[in-house]
This record gives sequence, C-alpha cells and structure tokens, in this order.
Amino acid sequence: MKPEDHAWRSLQQHASAQLNSRFADRVLRAANGPCDKTWQSLRSHGAAQLRPGFAARVLRAARKLPGVPSLLDQFVFSAGTAIVCIVGTLYFHSRSLAIENERNLASWHQIAMFVQDADTGL
Amino acid sequence: MESTSSSALADLVRRAQQGEESAQHELIVSYQHRVAGFVYAMTGRSDYVEDLSQQVFIKMIRALDRLQAPAQFESWLFRLARNTCIDQLRRQKLRRIFLPFGEEHENIPEPAGAVDSEELDALRHALAQLRPQDRALLALVQEGRSHAEIAETLETSVAAVKARLHRAREHLREHYTPQS
Repeated sequence: MKPEDHAWRSLQQHASAQLNSRFADRVLRAANGPCDKTWQSLRSHGAAQLRPGFAARVLRAARKLPGVPSLLDQFVFSAGTAIVCIVGTLYFHSRSLAIENERNLASWHQIAMFVQDADTGL
Repeated sequence: MESTSSSALADLVRRAQQGEESAQHELIVSYQHRVAGFVYAMTGRSDYVEDLSQQVFIKMIRALDRLQAPAQFESWLFRLARNTCIDQLRRQKLRRIFLPFGEEHENIPEPAGAVDSEELDALRHALAQLRPQDRALLALVQEGRSHAEIAETLETSVAAVKARLHRAREHLREHYTPQS
C-alpha cells in the first residue's frame, strides 16, 4: 500500500469515527421528517387525554350556556342603547342651555340695575 | 361506499341541526378523538386538550344551524378547531405580555412518561417551533384532508396551500431531530 493510500484510509477512519452509531437512521429521519407512525402516536396521545363521558359533558355544558341572541334581539338592543344615548345627550344639552340662559339673564339684570342706579345718580 | 358514508354523515348533521340530541351526541363521539389529536398537535399540551376540545364542540353545537352545506361538515369542524386553538395561543401570548409571569410558568414541561417515545417528543418540539398556522396546515394534512379541502378550510387557494405546506414541511424537517 502506498503511503498516501494509508493516509487516506486513516483519514476516512477518523472521519467515520465521528459519526453517531445510528447515523443512517438519523439522516433518514431528518430527510423524511416524522413518519406516519409518529404522527399517529401524537394523535393517539391527544385523544387519550379526553376523560370518559366527554360527549355527555359537552352537551351538558352547551345546555347550561345562555342562548345566542337572534339578529332581531341584537337590533332591538342596539336601537334601545342608541335611544337612551340620544335622550341623555338632549337632556344634558337642554339643561346646560337653560343654566347658561339663567346665568346670562342674571348678569344682564345686574347690568340693568347698575345702569338704573347710574341714571338716578345723575 | 364513501358516498354512502358521506350521505350518512350529512343525514346525521341534518338531524343534529334540528336539535336532535342523540345525533349531536353521535357527532361528538365520532369526532372527539380526531379533534383531540388535532388540538394536541396544535398546542403540544396534554392539559389543554380536554378544555379546548370541549370549546370546539360547544361552538359546533351552537353554530350548527348556520352550516349551509352538511356535506362540508368535516372541513367546517376542523376550521372551528383551528380557529379555537389559534385564539387560545394568541391569548396565551397576550397574557405573557401583560402578566408578570415568565415563560417558564406558561411552558410547564409535560410530566415524565406523558409522552411515550423520543420521536413523539421530537415531533412535539419541532411543531412548537412552527407558526400556529403552519402547525394547523400539517395537522390537517395528517387528518387526511385534501389540498382542496384545506384551501376551503383556510379560505385560500389550492396553490397557496401547496406552497405553504411545502415551506411548513421544510421547517418541520429542520427542527425534527430525535435523539435516539
């Protein structure tokens, strides 16, 4: 054997010694991804988490929950909310307008009194 | 044979839509294991499976009368399951932002013996690295749904499903490294 052949062989031996004992399996797994059996065991594991009587529990829970409001119910509720908001806004607007008017009248009254006093003084 | 079973399913769905409780019960029993498997693939958490599966079936019962085509029940059910899981994962993410809990409080590892093989553990780990949308895509394929059905479930085109599936498989392979 030539000296360079011997060197090549020892290089190959050193390189192959770095590989994991199940190198081929690992390469295949990495290349193909999880096999159907692994997916199947994932699904089975998930399915095994359900306690017996699951369907009956779901039906009981669904019955306990309040019903879903119909479109008409939702419309009535929205219209009611809108009416309450409009009436409230109008009420507060008219009330603040009345207070403002009263305040203005009071200050005009004060000015009128002041002018009257000034007239009588002259 | 398949058309007989699909017409039987459509009939069962119609009876359930009319409020027949035995039909609703039969629907839940028929699909509970598949939905639970899907939920587990989506969340990777055993303790979420029962709660989320229950949410999916409660939504199913309450929205069943709005399903126009009973023949498309399966696609519709898995769309509900997908959306329920994605909502849960989003809520979990938001909770992590607003509550002073570290990720270690949320991602409690499965107890020893909960997963029975290194490969299953590796698959769970690899799925956890993917976006929930990609996980859903792979789980739907494993459910035996065709590209057309998945496109209908996700309300997208078949070409888009194929492209996304290709990317999702590539990512899964990158992260899938069983130790044994």
